[in-house]
Amino acid sequence: MTGTVTLSQAQPRRATASLSVTLMVNGAIHDLFIDVRTSLLDALREHIGLTGAKKGCDHGQCGACTVHIDGRRVVSCLTLAAQAQGYDVGTIEGLQGVDGALHPMQQAFIDHDALQCGYCTPGQIMSAIACVQEGHAKSLDEIREYMSGNLCRCGAYVGIVAAIEDVAARTQG
Amino acid sequence: MTDVPFPNVPREDARQKVCGAPIFGADSPRPGLLHAALAVSTIPKGRILDIDTLAASATPGVRQVLTHQDLADLQLPGFLLGGYGFQNFQPLRSPDIAYRGQPIAVVVADTFEAATEAAALVRATYAAEAFCPTIDSPGVDIVDQADTPMGQFLTEPVAADADAAFAAAPIKVDIELKCPAQHQNPIELIATVAEWEGDTLIVHEGTQNAEGVRHGLARVLGIPAGQVEVISPFVGGGFGQKNSLQMQTALAAAASRRAGAPVKLVVPRTQLFQGASFRPASRHHVRLGADVSGTLLAAIHETDAQSSRIDFFPGEYAATSARLYGWSAFRGLHRLIRTDTQTPGFMRAPFEHPACFAMETAMDELAYAIGMDPVDLRLANDTILDPITKRPFSSRHAGTCLRRGAERFGWQARSAEPRSMRSADGSFVGWGVALGAYPGMMVSNVVRLTANSDGGVEIAMGAHEMGQGMRSVIAAVAGRKLRISPGAVTVVIGDTRAALQQPTAGSWGSASAALAIEAAADAMWKALAKLTPDGVVEGRSPSEILKAAARDSLDVETMVKPPGQPDDVFGLLRSGLVSRAGPVFDDCVSFSFIAHFVEVHVEPRLRRIRVPRVVSVADCGRVISPRTALSQVRGGVVWGIGAALREASETDPRYGGFLNADLAEYAIPVNADIGRIDVEFIDEPDGLLESGVKSLGEVSLCGVAPAIANAVFHATGRRLRELPIRIEHVM
Amino acid sequence: MQPFTYVRASNVGDAVKALSRGAKLLAGGTTLYDLMKLRIERPERIIDINHLGELKHFDTSGERELVFGALARMSEVAADAGLVRDYPAISESLWRAASQQLRNMASLGGNLLQRTRCPYFRGGEPYACNKRDPGSGCAAAEGLDRGQALLGASPSCSAVYPGDFAAALVAFDAEIDVVGPGGERVLPFEELHREPADTPQKETTLEPGEMIVRIRIPVTPLGRASTFLKVRDRESYAFALASAAVALEMDGDVVRDARVAVGGLATRPWRARAAERLLIGRRFDESAARAAGEAALDGAIPGRSNAFRIELGIRTVTDALMTARQRA
Repeated sequence: MTGTVTLSQAQPRRATASLSVTLMVNGAIHDLFIDVRTSLLDALREHIGLTGAKKGCDHGQCGACTVHIDGRRVVSCLTLAAQAQGYDVGTIEGLQGVDGALHPMQQAFIDHDALQCGYCTPGQIMSAIACVQEGHAKSLDEIREYMSGNLCRCGAYVGIVAAIEDVAARTQG
Repeated sequence: MTDVPFPNVPREDARQKVCGAPIFGADSPRPGLLHAALAVSTIPKGRILDIDTLAASATPGVRQVLTHQDLADLQLPGFLLGGYGFQNFQPLRSPDIAYRGQPIAVVVADTFEAATEAAALVRATYAAEAFCPTIDSPGVDIVDQADTPMGQFLTEPVAADADAAFAAAPIKVDIELKCPAQHQNPIELIATVAEWEGDTLIVHEGTQNAEGVRHGLARVLGIPAGQVEVISPFVGGGFGQKNSLQMQTALAAAASRRAGAPVKLVVPRTQLFQGASFRPASRHHVRLGADVSGTLLAAIHETDAQSSRIDFFPGEYAATSARLYGWSAFRGLHRLIRTDTQTPGFMRAPFEHPACFAMETAMDELAYAIGMDPVDLRLANDTILDPITKRPFSSRHAGTCLRRGAERFGWQARSAEPRSMRSADGSFVGWGVALGAYPGMMVSNVVRLTANSDGGVEIAMGAHEMGQGMRSVIAAVAGRKLRISPGAVTVVIGDTRAALQQPTAGSWGSASAALAIEAAADAMWKALAKLTPDGVVEGRSPSEILKAAARDSLDVETMVKPPGQPDDVFGLLRSGLVSRAGPVFDDCVSFSFIAHFVEVHVEPRLRRIRVPRVVSVADCGRVISPRTALSQVRGGVVWGIGAALREASETDPRYGGFLNADLAEYAIPVNADIGRIDVEFIDEPDGLLESGVKSLGEVSLCGVAPAIANAVFHATGRRLRELPIRIEHVM
Repeated sequence: MQPFTYVRASNVGDAVKALSRGAKLLAGGTTLYDLMKLRIERPERIIDINHLGELKHFDTSGERELVFGALARMSEVAADAGLVRDYPAISESLWRAASQQLRNMASLGGNLLQRTRCPYFRGGEPYACNKRDPGSGCAAAEGLDRGQALLGASPSCSAVYPGDFAAALVAFDAEIDVVGPGGERVLPFEELHREPADTPQKETTLEPGEMIVRIRIPVTPLGRASTFLKVRDRESYAFALASAAVALEMDGDVVRDARVAVGGLATRPWRARAAERLLIGRRFDESAARAAGEAALDGAIPGRSNAFRIELGIRTVTDALMTARQRA
């Protein structure tokens, strides 16, 4: 039973251990046979081999696992992999162009040194791209508020805000 | 090489990092990987009477459940200072429980989900014992540090008769202050991927001390260190928590050996609060004596700091506070409070942040007691001689930091009276200043430097990249010394297979790396000179010389030790042990300094405290990597804001352990907490090393918290001597 | 986390039918999946309702009421221009909650059923908790209580109801439509949550097998001069130490109508009618606002270290009312 499980197909009461799940990640289709409890984050990291999204809390408290689902930022640690079937999942690995060109937000993070250890950085960048797309980068305070779901323990916030301000200014012309 | 400032260029590994490409410890893919999870003790002290693993073992997908009944042959790692562990305690070695959250079983399963669920099904019954979980627990054991085994290595800083001088001083400040336990909380969880290749153990783990982990594992597992390799090319933040052998590494290794497959063990955040090191809680009693003109006559700094029942984690608070000003009399004292917790440890500026909070709060109080501007008071007591050893500082620009900071901040517009400044929205405005200091230390190294005829240079050495920009520093120094582009330098660090590793901690990374690479580069030029017919290397690049000599490459290994260290430091290095030099050297004392100027706003009714603006001017010697150095200071200021206004690890004394053990309840600063942070560097080369570098990573945090507390006093008239300062303290 | 069966429901009827004992509805998952990882929630079956398109819509343009499907996402509703203009308190209560990532996931219906952040509840063993494990006791009663409820607590539980949106809903007399085995019924939102009394494990008045399908708010001129103020330990991404959802309708300087609710202080969404009565018909000034704040916190019972939140709650209501007055 690949793909969507409908109620009529569901087995009564007894919990099943594993599930076929088809995920579309960065435009590629991945057929997985995984434990039903698997989070989208663990599916990406442990089963698909995309380790850019990071585990920092596993409870939606740090934002290091931020990915896009249909272009919207979510925390993949609180998303069941099964839940993500039928949607487009976007991760940091999918940002670069075919020629290896960086996304403007990636370049801005370099230019403004908006990172230190690099562990929260994939989540920050995925969140930052969405922040601009949502129209939540109209002022420094708005950027700060809408980027507060991504903790950076190294304390790169000043650079992160500058990078987003930079990209937003160029995007909005 | 110190004459010219270094250029402001992007960090070496920035492109990798913005692509999510670095392979952190838990990212390492291994075929046939199994997953492990820990079951932990629910009591803080006692003994396991019985442990029931039946339900866990019966969980589908579980391969093995190991307890103390299986792993009693594990040995103790020794405590970090002289040993390898963050504590001299190895869980699962015996049924003894020393702290809540201590692992009591490790479960290995096919999946993370099965391992985690099975671990939760392990049930133990205990014989519980009485315990003292906090420094305020009734009956808790307090010892003088001088009476502990650490006492012989750490003498109390003393100059003249401070008690007599204090008693005679016309103006006195006599205060007690308190700093809470805190947790480092790097966003990268502590995690191990362990794999055996025959008799060799390969460990992937984010650590600041790959060599220590290697030797610690060898000791705990009873195998030769040569059979252990530790790989840690990127560390997702360390902040001191990852400076030693963790409690889970040997468990993952033992489990992997039994399972015959690689094992990944990612420790959940909540378990880290109770299973890895933390900043110990501390109480400070500070006395300052001065005359009416503001000349400091005496300072006394006594500290009671948390340690564990397992180890003596020594305090070095007064070693830094003693160096802040030119007092003629000083006395420091350290006592340790032995709580039933895991052993506390090093967290960014472990002693120096609390010490500066205590002393710089007292200095502000003294300024008000005298009626003197807080900047003027500090400038009036600046010194070029270390008051404890009477040796000169290797360099000291603390006064310049204060003067430039004051100018940049606009300090002259400050009105001294508390509650006298308001912002446009009616908030009370407070301006505060404080000085920070941090010792300059260095470690030895063995560098392998390879120059290739294609122009590339490879450096393998002992260092770790945990966000501070280590690769950028190494590439910049090597590039300048070898007259090549930093981009041509390949840096291999954090890998015991490539070179002996030194712990990267204590802000000694840049100075140690620069020292090592300079010596290695000099050795390389000497070796290259032998390849030339005339012995002349000037005006030639390494690759030109190699090509002319028809050589593909040239390999030079150099052993480098800091000034004043004996040759046997290399023996220690080979044993994975720390051998730091400094801050006291034969003819000088090395400290870095920073002045922080802080503006706080306190709302008139709700009393929320905000920090819209900080100006920091740092004296860290020559700045080798301007861009990463700037980020280091900004990050230190963010840490200071967290320390001053947000962070405390809380214990319910009935249960032990820590209650607010996740990132929702333990409030680290978020983006919206941070406003403008303006940073300036003195960028004057220090005299001790050719590179002119001094420490930076930790001094950046020192002094932020007292500057904020002093600003809160200025805004509200309330003198708050306990951190963190929260809304209830200013209502 | 216990294993479970995962199913997707394709319509409300199927979802309700499947909602047998041991089953849980999965919307955003931000509470349910989180608590499953902590083994506090242990459903045998997960019914994914994210494909019930009928529940995703919301309409803020109606003449009689604002209608929100239970699966409307917090972020989308928060950004609705009509809501931002005409009911700022509702928009603010949504965007000041959690983070944008979580708001993109969390549904309005799920948000209402968000469970407490009491650390003794979430901490599991060894902490006793009557809500998690009925009859085991309350570790918070003699514990660290800085964050515990001051209003509506009982000896068996002082866990705060953490939601922000609920404060706005209770202020604006929202109703919810609930579907269950017996059909559909309407419930005043104020009657959804229960005080803990001696059964803190029973948090709502929903019957077994019932699900929230809609939230409706009657159109009111009070919306425009409204605000939601949230005070917390950091500037964002944190739960409230105290919050207030307030609204004013003015007749010159005199209050014609008022709404006051507080959050972060009580065991359930807390409407402060006494504060409203005090304001209505009175000339508005700072002292009136303060008096309303005091009335809102009337009956608050402090513990060992949370007493400051009584004064903080009073000031939060006061400040919120001052803001609402400026918008009137």
